[in-house]
Amino acid sequence: MKPSSLGDVFDRQARAAFVLPSVLIILAFSIFPLLVSAYLSLVRFQIAPGGYTLHFVGWSNYRKLLFGSEQFHFLGTFGEVGALEWTLIGAAALWLLAAFVRYLRGGAWSLAGLAGRLLATAGLLAVAVLCAYTTGGAGRLGSFTVTLFYVTAGVAAQFLIGLGLAYLCTLPVRGRWFFRMVFFLPLMVTPVGIAYMFRMIADTTVGPLAPVWNAVGLRQISWAADPWLARIVVVIGDTWQWVPFMFIVLLAALESQPRDQIEAAQLDGAGGWRIFRDITWPSIAPVAASVVLIRLIEAFKIVDLPNVLTNGGPGIATESMTLHSFIAWRTLDLGGSAAVAYMLFFASTICCVSFFHFVVRAARRAQGA
Amino acid sequence: MKPLRRLLAARRLDELAPAQKFVVYAPLLAWTAIVLFPLYWVIVTSLKEPIDVADGPYYIPFVDFRPSLHAWKYIFFDLGRDTLRPYLNSVIVSSAATLVAVLIGAMAAYGLARMEYRPSVGSVLLFVAAIALAALMSFWGGVDWRLALLAGLAIFAIALRMLGRRFRRRLANHDILFWVISQRILPPVVTAIPIYLMFKELGLLDTHSALIITYATVNLPIVVWLMYDFFCAVPRELEESAQIDGASRLRIFFDVALALVRPGLVATSLLVLILCWNEYLLALFLSTVEAQTMPLLVAAQNATRGPQWWYMSVLIIIMILPVIALTLLLQRFITKGLLVGAIKG
Amino acid sequence: MKENAPRLLSKSVTLDGVGKSFGEVRVLRNLVLEAQPGEFLVLLGESGCGKTTALRIIAGLETASEGRVWIGEQDVTDRLPKERDVAMVFQSYALYPHKTVAQNIAYPLVVRRVPEAEVAARVKEVAQSVQLGQLLERYPRQLSGGQRQRVALARAIVRRPSVFLMDEPLSNLDAKLRGHMRAELKHMQYRLGVTTIYVTHDQVEAMTLAHRVALLDKGVLQQLDTPARIYSDPANLFVAGFIGSPPMNFLKGRLADGAFEAPGVRVPAADRSRQARVVMGVRPEDCTLADPAGGQLRGQVYSIELIGDHTLVTVLVGEQEVVVKAANTFEARMGDTVALRVNAGRVYFFDADSGARIR
Repeated sequence: MKPSSLGDVFDRQARAAFVLPSVLIILAFSIFPLLVSAYLSLVRFQIAPGGYTLHFVGWSNYRKLLFGSEQFHFLGTFGEVGALEWTLIGAAALWLLAAFVRYLRGGAWSLAGLAGRLLATAGLLAVAVLCAYTTGGAGRLGSFTVTLFYVTAGVAAQFLIGLGLAYLCTLPVRGRWFFRMVFFLPLMVTPVGIAYMFRMIADTTVGPLAPVWNAVGLRQISWAADPWLARIVVVIGDTWQWVPFMFIVLLAALESQPRDQIEAAQLDGAGGWRIFRDITWPSIAPVAASVVLIRLIEAFKIVDLPNVLTNGGPGIATESMTLHSFIAWRTLDLGGSAAVAYMLFFASTICCVSFFHFVVRAARRAQGA
Repeated sequence: MKPLRRLLAARRLDELAPAQKFVVYAPLLAWTAIVLFPLYWVIVTSLKEPIDVADGPYYIPFVDFRPSLHAWKYIFFDLGRDTLRPYLNSVIVSSAATLVAVLIGAMAAYGLARMEYRPSVGSVLLFVAAIALAALMSFWGGVDWRLALLAGLAIFAIALRMLGRRFRRRLANHDILFWVISQRILPPVVTAIPIYLMFKELGLLDTHSALIITYATVNLPIVVWLMYDFFCAVPRELEESAQIDGASRLRIFFDVALALVRPGLVATSLLVLILCWNEYLLALFLSTVEAQTMPLLVAAQNATRGPQWWYMSVLIIIMILPVIALTLLLQRFITKGLLVGAIKG
Repeated sequence: MKENAPRLLSKSVTLDGVGKSFGEVRVLRNLVLEAQPGEFLVLLGESGCGKTTALRIIAGLETASEGRVWIGEQDVTDRLPKERDVAMVFQSYALYPHKTVAQNIAYPLVVRRVPEAEVAARVKEVAQSVQLGQLLERYPRQLSGGQRQRVALARAIVRRPSVFLMDEPLSNLDAKLRGHMRAELKHMQYRLGVTTIYVTHDQVEAMTLAHRVALLDKGVLQQLDTPARIYSDPANLFVAGFIGSPPMNFLKGRLADGAFEAPGVRVPAADRSRQARVVMGVRPEDCTLADPAGGQLRGQVYSIELIGDHTLVTVLVGEQEVVVKAANTFEARMGDTVALRVNAGRVYFFDADSGARIR
């Protein structure tokens, strides 16, 4: 036995050698930039003769976004809030309070758990109030609220459509292979391409649907000039692309559940809906929660669709946070750009971690996994 | 009553009643149309003269309008090199990034699945502090970054020698795994500016290497996550047998472990490849001319002379085709591989 | 199999106080045993008794929490598996599915950089000796269970190691093939003369294959002895109950007045001292049915099972069951009262609390 061969040298250090490349790359190109970004979000960037200078300005960049001159861009313009909205917010607050009390009375609470729940609750309520203010009356959405709209509307639509199609495909239908192949296609199309595709399709004068618009007398409507219509077109494009992802994962989950349980329920005389609710849904809930989490994580990063589809317009109506940050960078406002990026980071982390704790974990626990 | 009952009830369990058939097939076919129609429209548009587009919707070539290959000619011959370069850039960048990400990601996943890691919290913090010190030295102190890095590592080694025994709290494999996977939550725009500045310092802006290393980093968490599940699903005995037979760890990894997870490996590679191929934002930050990738070229079509749908359609098609071809080619791996990770969640 | 294969250089294996804990769970305690060069040693026990852990510690796949492991004259406790010169056959065979039979067998040689020509020659020779000559280009999935088993064996033999380790190598075969492979294994071990440590939960395998059997329970060695002595001279209640099929009968009672007494039982035991809580053990073949007058045990027939060459009769004595191996001509009806006699020289007494043998 020659202890000096290369393989042996590697063997002695094997553990480190396997993991270190990944860890170092992440440290260098993920963690280190993250720290630099944190610093950048606290400075003002200025071109100076022969280079640039950085002035430390503290929280000023964030203050501008939340309360100052950039508030309209980030949070939105505030309108009036009606009684209905206040009632809804009050109901949400009560519901959250009840969940909180239940948690405390459950006995098994910890400091970290309490802090996490406080943060999640506060975030949720703040977002609810924000939404009420920016949608009511003369209110307009900012990039933060627009991103939230993309995330919630997009992921919800993708999940529901994906689940529905997957469920239909588990029924005895012909051509399942064909459906599966076709439904998979949009995942392979580059998002930039999708944006152009939907610009063509949504054109009300020369697009393929023009006869339809003509017939219903909407030929003159320009969706690109209407904030909500433009946002909805963005969500439609995003949904078109990501339904396949939900579809294949949920289909696999549906197909992998044991047949005998369903057959037993059929013998017991349960109908289709009951079987789905009592047997199928609980068994796929953990997968469903995971796949929604994955989409949530990715959905916060949306940028290509709004940028190409509408260029963020009309005005700033379809700007996502990533796009907002990118535009700030383009105008050499490095500090502002980093601040927006960091706000996105916070929002997406809080949202995803909360979702993981309160939905994914709960779904797994319910299944005993 | 009889026809109604026949409409509502199937005779056998594996058959649908006529009424059910409609309820089931209608949405499936509708979604098929929704998926296929935009793709069809792109293909048709690529065959239109500008006038056919501007004059309102024409649907069927040869019937509604006379198809022409002018757009294809323009992209392939008139633009020629200007199309080819981004295309080659995309091919090089995405395949190299995929290779790097899958190779080191699979190694990390294998290590985490098969070996025990117990780094102490203290030493990890110490390492980060040492590196941060090195960064500060080079940033404000004006020290050459290579020198600063070396100094930082030296400080880390010395400090670890002195303090190493005092660290008690330790991390376990799942902590490391979670840390790696959680990197995926990080929006790329947060790291984009520092990475831009970093590559600017290194003089690597608008080069393949900058894009490759960045794409590899961004996709590393996906690789580690999926491959970890694949490795966990492989029986240990095969590797133990190789171990007794005298194979080194590295040899076992390449000879045995990787061969056993091949379906998963192929599926993961394909996924990462597609993500790199379509990536837009980071390319926007890091490349301008020389390293410009296809998504940028497609996106840029709008800016210059207004939307020229026919050219765009050609570009979109030549971007989609290789992906579809690859997917069809590797289909049997995907059905086997891609789902395992996601299913286990 | 060819008879002129070279006998290998064989080494002893010594475990010196080996223990293993996984977290809080101690799966192995202070295991001391030594396998002589060329010996066939079987580690026997139920699943979870620590026998596989012991084998994996010898292989180097687990590290012992305490104690030392010696192979030959060398302390290998801290050595890597590949430095120990052992070969192992796994329960699942652990064949590489992506390699052909020839590549599977050659692998241990290839990783040790044996010259190509020699590899080919040795693979061929070994394959012939286990009758795999025709199958060298097949893949494992194209082989039957018995053939896969042979490939695993061939891969172990080809290296000419000084110790074989086998982890339940026959448990994935069907009953008929298992009997056949048992005989082949025994012959191969005899022919090669390599020290073999063999883990199984099957007492028939242990009794037929082993030179000596080490019986483990809950991580503790119960007895290490030849199969014959383990059967005829069990060290304690566990060993007595584990070995033998149908198992030994146990009757709870007391030793008093020169006899063992229990409801319906009085067996003379003149040389024993008095003791209140005792278990008497007697094997089914050491009981005979007697005429009602002279019986030492009296009870009712509970069930009768004709096996073929004999009949198993279960008799309810008091509230305890006794199984008797009777002639296949035995006839009785359920519920009949019968009397039994035991072979006085083949009766064992155990302490009911500690399980230790009372000699």
